[in-house]
Amino acid sequence: MSDVIATLIPAGENSFRLGAYLGRGGYEAARKTILTMKPRDVLEEVKKANLRGRGGAGFPAGSKWAFVPQADERSKYLCVNADEGEPGTFKDRAIMTQDPHLLLEGILLTCYAVGIHTAFIYIRAEYEAIAQRLEAAIEEARQKGFLGPDIFGSGFGLEVLVHRGAGAYICGEETALLESIEGKRGMPRLKPPFPASVGLFGSPTVINNVETIANVPLIFRYGADWFVARGLPRDGGTRIFGVSGAVRKPGLYELPVGTPLRKIIYEWAGGPAEGQSIKAVVPGGLSAPFLTPEEIDVPMDYESLAHAKSMLGSAGVIVIGDRTPIIDVLRIVARFYAHESCGQCTPCRIGTTWISKIADRIGAGAGTSGDLDLIRHLAEGMKGKTLCPMGDAAAFPVLSIVDKFGQELGEPISR
Amino acid sequence: MVTIQIDGRAMQAPTGTTILKAADQAGIVIPRFCYHPAFEPEGSCRMCLVEIEDLPKLDLACSTVVREGMKVWTSTPKVLQARKDVLEFLLADHPLDCPICDKAGECFLQDYYDKHGRYASRFLEAKEKKKKKIPIGKKLLLDRERCVLCTRCVRFLRGVTGTGELGVFKRGVKAEIGIDEGVEIRNNYSGNLVDICPVGAITDGDFRFKTRVWFLEKKRTVCPRCSRGCNIIVQSVRNYPLSGRQRRIYRIVPAENQDVNGYWICDFGRFGYHDIEDNRLTAIAVNREGPAEGRLPSWEDILKGLAAEIRALVDAGRASSLAVILNSSLTNEELAACRKLFADALGVRSIFFADPKPGEADGYLLTADRTPNGGGAAALGFSPELPDLEKLAGAADLLIIFGPHLLEHYPAEKLADSLKGIRRKYLLAAHRSGLDALADIVLPTAHPAEKKGSFRNVKGTVQSFECAVRAPRGCLPEGEILSRLASELGVKLE
Repeated sequence: MSDVIATLIPAGENSFRLGAYLGRGGYEAARKTILTMKPRDVLEEVKKANLRGRGGAGFPAGSKWAFVPQADERSKYLCVNADEGEPGTFKDRAIMTQDPHLLLEGILLTCYAVGIHTAFIYIRAEYEAIAQRLEAAIEEARQKGFLGPDIFGSGFGLEVLVHRGAGAYICGEETALLESIEGKRGMPRLKPPFPASVGLFGSPTVINNVETIANVPLIFRYGADWFVARGLPRDGGTRIFGVSGAVRKPGLYELPVGTPLRKIIYEWAGGPAEGQSIKAVVPGGLSAPFLTPEEIDVPMDYESLAHAKSMLGSAGVIVIGDRTPIIDVLRIVARFYAHESCGQCTPCRIGTTWISKIADRIGAGAGTSGDLDLIRHLAEGMKGKTLCPMGDAAAFPVLSIVDKFGQELGEPISR
Repeated sequence: MVTIQIDGRAMQAPTGTTILKAADQAGIVIPRFCYHPAFEPEGSCRMCLVEIEDLPKLDLACSTVVREGMKVWTSTPKVLQARKDVLEFLLADHPLDCPICDKAGECFLQDYYDKHGRYASRFLEAKEKKKKKIPIGKKLLLDRERCVLCTRCVRFLRGVTGTGELGVFKRGVKAEIGIDEGVEIRNNYSGNLVDICPVGAITDGDFRFKTRVWFLEKKRTVCPRCSRGCNIIVQSVRNYPLSGRQRRIYRIVPAENQDVNGYWICDFGRFGYHDIEDNRLTAIAVNREGPAEGRLPSWEDILKGLAAEIRALVDAGRASSLAVILNSSLTNEELAACRKLFADALGVRSIFFADPKPGEADGYLLTADRTPNGGGAAALGFSPELPDLEKLAGAADLLIIFGPHLLEHYPAEKLADSLKGIRRKYLLAAHRSGLDALADIVLPTAHPAEKKGSFRNVKGTVQSFECAVRAPRGCLPEGEILSRLASELGVKLE
């Protein structure tokens, strides 16, 4: 079977329609699985496929589902994270735009495996057209009996609801997302308890990224072995790399997990933009530590990037060209996190803004000799010490910029 | 129970408890802002981070549940640095207006900086400007620049009163405590917000700029304003009387008692310090006969006189013409003394009660019974009944009234008419009232906060208390008056 058929983002103006999806073999995997496999075996198959979360943390999906207590009497929920707020990330919108039924089939399989009868797609409000497309797809699927009270005559029922967010980066954090769906202020919850035991409306809840769920039908269409073979043994399948910034061909590239970053930038994205060289690369969404041009010979998988002291994250690759002053990058990065901090916990609430103010001051030519050390100190004060991962997300890029581009940052200060 | 180690000390901790609670129990203080024992852990201030052996990152003491064999370190360099960092963050935008802040002296931020901070400030930026005097209801004022966003106030209003007036608005460094337009805090527990605010962000207009907390003497007693018997701490200055408009009692705050009031008291009880302070009788008054030699009679003169009058009645076989009106704000000891002296020793049968009229119970702590010791009176065998005024006027020759509450039950004119028929009337009261003019002799007594004794509360719990504040010069507690009177009459009370 060729990878063209198995792609997460099919081409064509009408690829999103149910007819087109059925033509690609859509819903057959779900039908066969639900009618012939036990939920427990479905879960085992996903574990075998080594499907890791595509949202950023890379947690193995099968393990996450297995945390949900099966004997629990309460209703369970699936929340599909379609908030896609990580700067440099624009893959989920493509999946939902081009192949909403692939996501729905993935939701169906996931819910069947875990015993869930209500799923939410939490989508950022800016994706209104996509939300409408999803709602239309849900309606189509219901009409055909792919969703609803008795799917494929199996007796298994599932309803899918689209929930629009209200425009906060933090609502992409899984527990803030739950708060938001519950109609509360979007702020992360203290963990434990983890959502698998106490999640949406206090019930056991699975939260997965769009791309993660969209991969599930492929595992059942082609088998776990095929899926693993598409990527790496411990990190199966493909990743959709969103390449943006100073490259000739920015865009989305679905490639095997483990594809080297240099290859993605130079072979797929056409290399640095006309007349520029690369100054820095963000490999996995803005929260990932920056890499220097010397550091991009790294396979794009969770372990290799962790080894390179960065993150695969959301696989959003941002290429920064040499014409961009690094102080501008620092200011924009710092301002983003300061603007998006929910304000709940001390280090993130104050630290992000403090760093942003220092970066702005350096940019305005009023830097002092202690500023870079102070930024480092403040970022260290956030790293690993906040209520949710946003403290790390804000600290990592800042620390890497100060550490790796300190010399350039020092220039406006010494002037 | 599980066995854990904190800072190398092995200890037993209840299964399911948190590191912070176990440490508190062992007297190891882990600093905190957002944690309050009345609420679920919030985990937002990040002040209580501790090191747990074999874990790579620092973890919250307030929310981490103890496990068998867990080893916790509360003062490693990493922990101390994290605390210092949190303080550096919190103080970056803080206005540092301690010199004019009422919380100074009992402020967590101030105390922790002293203990865990002590760094040189590196904040060169412009501080966030926020509103500093926002009325949020009753006499409470919110200062957003001082606020550390611990959300204790928000959680109190959601979890304890269920009224939810406050919330967090905006986000990031602009996040602030706020109140919806047109809403104000009106519940009967608002004063607790001032107590639980770890900094000077919520202050009470009644206390604002009046004194400094380190001048205050803090003494525990039982609130006398209803039958709940909430434990309170009366905070006062020593020297009384004071000059000018200076106050004696500055505030009343709750004392924790999980069996009675938990961590809280109601506003009605809290603002009872006005009751201790205002409108007090402080000198003996003689209405009918002017002072004999141009001076006010002494307690000794008065009590000798009263004893002689009682003795005369009793000796003439007319003990039935002596009547006493008591009240349920008297302590068990005072009521027992009344019983011994009047009923047992003197054979007085006309013993009545005049108490404040019941108010409305608030469904939480405040009860309808606005006296602290109705339970005590009943337990001592009294049946607290109001007198029939006409019968009383017909039968009594000498009347001793404790407290001013008769006026709440009878129209003033009727009361005046009836009392006219009684030859001799003594009033023992702490506060001035319309009854003063109707009595022949008015004796100033102590407020319950100025006494030692015990009350039996609505649930039947007997609570002893010590004198929380000295009575104004010239006032005597009823217990002392009774004991002196008994000794004049040769009656042994003990």
